[in-house]
Amino acid sequence: MDGHFQAFTFVNRITAIQPGTSVRGNYLIPPGIADFPQSLVGEAVGQLAAWGAMAAVDFKCRPVAGLAGQIELLSSVRPGQTLELSAELESVDTEAVSYRGEASADGIPVIRLQNCVGPMMPLEEFDDPQSLREHFAVLCGNGSTLGGFGGIPPLAFSRNGGELGKSARATLQVPASAPFFADHFPRRPVFPGTLLMNLNLQLAAALAAEIPGRWELRTISDVKLRSFIPPGEQLELEAKLDACTKNSVTVIVETRKEKKLIGGARVSFAPGGNS
Amino acid sequence: MSNENITKEEVAAIFPKVAETMADALGCDVEKVKLDASLIGDLGAESIDFLDIIFRLERAFKVKIPRGKIVEDARGDLSESAFEQSGIVSDAGAARLKSFLSEVPADRFKTPLKSAEIPKLFTVETFCKMVIRQQRATAAAGGAKPA
Repeated sequence: MDGHFQAFTFVNRITAIQPGTSVRGNYLIPPGIADFPQSLVGEAVGQLAAWGAMAAVDFKCRPVAGLAGQIELLSSVRPGQTLELSAELESVDTEAVSYRGEASADGIPVIRLQNCVGPMMPLEEFDDPQSLREHFAVLCGNGSTLGGFGGIPPLAFSRNGGELGKSARATLQVPASAPFFADHFPRRPVFPGTLLMNLNLQLAAALAAEIPGRWELRTISDVKLRSFIPPGEQLELEAKLDACTKNSVTVIVETRKEKKLIGGARVSFAPGGNS
Repeated sequence: MSNENITKEEVAAIFPKVAETMADALGCDVEKVKLDASLIGDLGAESIDFLDIIFRLERAFKVKIPRGKIVEDARGDLSESAFEQSGIVSDAGAARLKSFLSEVPADRFKTPLKSAEIPKLFTVETFCKMVIRQQRATAAAGGAKPA
């Protein structure tokens, strides 16, 4: 097993599909892993939408991470739970797919994505179209083998500066090799944008923790990923306090390679319980 | 699709909303989004920003804007091969572009003009006019009134 359709695949089965319109599916979070962050739940919804989009253009193109207008983080999940996934494709052509989607576990909403747009890229640059067609047929049939994701491997991510309660900076050394590159993507390894987002959220949460009160992550908005991140890249992450009231904390997160902006988002926190 | 009869008043009417939408997409101050600003040269837009702007304009104005719409409309009834060959815009194609993108100063049109560089010509007004044309198309098709 080379990791393709295993190491970074978060759809086990497609249970219903209206070509170019909507798609539903599920994913069993492997029971043996340490945790499954909400950014990967978002990845699962995005992957489901991607299957719907690829099928709509006969696997000539595939969407890649681009824009997410708003992501509501509604609850967390545990390994061993099954995610019920849905995506409504608002438009899809060979240039872009726009969609919204949701995930729930045990009937409880986990995440809700709105105004998402994935630029469509020539599929052949990233993967073998025929193997994707065949795997799509498996997903639409009895489903794929469970348990391929082994958890997020340790990443060289360290905080290295900032100003207490106002900003936080960190460096990420993207690994030169990792299991997920075999799946994301076989012909062109790219560091997944959702893993970058997970680290951005950790940095934003660290900054929010420096502000008096107890803050819970609620919403990510205006997510924009501008460039592919190849293996081995060194990135600088920064979280900057944008606004702080008694009811909310808003943090801008940005990622740069040297001075070039790679991606950014706005992260909102609300007062948490038990303060 | 002609744009000769798009008036300055029509453009002025939607410009504030277009500017606000673009500022949100580009993460810049709305004051920076001038009508004659080049999206790439002045506002630093990249390809993902164009996609962002198009989808935000669609939502803001409740119109559908097909990707590649500006060039498609500029090309009009010229065939693709008559408009450009080997990535270079033909003389006939350049004439169509200059007429269609009448808001773009003439000195910004390079000779020869590469097809891939056409987006460098686009200004904020270019997008205002595109929205107006799509509003008209939507209204003509019996759709929603302009937002």
